[in-house]
This record gives sequence, structure tokens and C-alpha cells, in this order.
Amino acid sequence: MPDRLANRLKERRTELGLTQAELAEKVGVTRKTVNTVENGVFTPSATLAIKLAQALGLTVEQLFWIES
Amino acid sequence: MDDFTIGFLVGLAAVLVIAAIIKLRSRKGPTTVAEKAEDLSKRRARMLPALALIFLSQQGAYLSHASSNTAQTIKISAWLVLSVVLIAALATKGFWFEPKAVRDLIDDENTRANRNDAMRLGFLVSMAAAIGIYFMTMFDNMKARESIHIIMTLGIAAALLRWAYLERRAHRDA
Repeated sequence: MPDRLANRLKERRTELGLTQAELAEKVGVTRKTVNTVENGVFTPSATLAIKLAQALGLTVEQLFWIES
Repeated sequence: MDDFTIGFLVGLAAVLVIAAIIKLRSRKGPTTVAEKAEDLSKRRARMLPALALIFLSQQGAYLSHASSNTAQTIKISAWLVLSVVLIAALATKGFWFEPKAVRDLIDDENTRANRNDAMRLGFLVSMAAAIGIYFMTMFDNMKARESIHIIMTLGIAAALLRWAYLERRAHRDA
């Protein structure tokens, strides 16, 4: 079974009271991209993962992990 | 003016009319770059299946030999214009009349991934069509133009439909 990149993007975003659109604007992507990352449909690049982690005040490892 | 030029101009006029409608509609819409990018991205997801259908419906006219030579030539050259525009839309950021900031945002990471996936499928379908035609020509003659027409049509349509599916799925999950 292939590895899957899980995340706590939605949980952390909600904690901070941010909408998908607001987070998207902070990291310079469209809301669609944030949505697909949240849902595990799209695996972000390292660059975007770091930007998302920074915007949410976490490290990349705290935000993303691998589920086997 | 020959038939091919007339068809070329007809195709070009149709493309310009579509571009003008998109531009006029977007003037009434959202104001910020992010809102505009979101709006255009959603609109593209809705437009892609329609474009694929229009593109495919043109092929019916080409493959049926009922119409006159003049009409055929006009249709073929109009098809060529639409093909070039669709390939350009697939290969670039699209929305050529929008500001650079909006175009850059629309073509973000997820969109590029979807676009690349769609172009990959388009390439594979084109190759499959080329292999199929190669075998067919062992038993029946086929003109080079007809072969190219079929290969391009199937490749472009497959890429458009795949891109439409991926973009709609990305928006739907919201």
C-alpha cells in the first residue's frame, strides 16, 4: 500500500479562525489548492508545505506526516 | 479570398468573440486578485467540458462527407484555429487578457499539476491513436491530413476532459 501524506491543516486553520481563502492568500495560492491539500487529494511541494507550516505557526513535521 | 482563409478568419473571429465575452463578464465580478483568480478558476472548470464538446462536435462535420468542398475547407481551417487555441490554453497559463498577478495566481501548484496530468493523458491518447492508425493503414489507405486530424482531435479532447474532471473535483471538495 503506498504511503499517504496526512495533515492537520484543517484542524490548525480552524483553531486560528482562518478560512481557506484567507490561508490561500497568505501563502499565494488559490483556495482550491488549500482545499485539495486539506482533503489529501493533492500532495503539496516542499515549498508549499513550508509556506503552509509557517503561515499556521507550526513546523512542517507538526503539520504533515506519512501514513502507511 | 480562398476557402481556407475564410475558415481561418471565421475560427479566429469565434475565438475573439469568446475572449471578449469572458473579459466583459469578468469586469462585473470580484475586485481583489484572489477573488478574481478564484472566480476565473471556477469558470474555467465549468467551461472546459463545454469546450471539449464543441471541439468534438466539429469532428462530426469533418468526418461526414455530405457537405460541399467549400464548406469542408472552411470547417477544417476553423478547426485548426480552435485546435491551436486549445493547445495554447493547455500549454500556458491561459486567460491571456487578464493581469499578470491574476494569471500567476490562477496557475498555482495544484492547477499546474492538473494541467500536466491532463497533457500526459492527451499525449498517451494521441500515441494510441497514432498506433491504431498505423495498423489501419496496413489494410486501408488513409490520407495524411485525415490521420493528423484524428490524432490531434483525440489527444486534445482527452486532455481537455481530463483537466475538466480534475479541476471540477478540486473545486467540488470545498
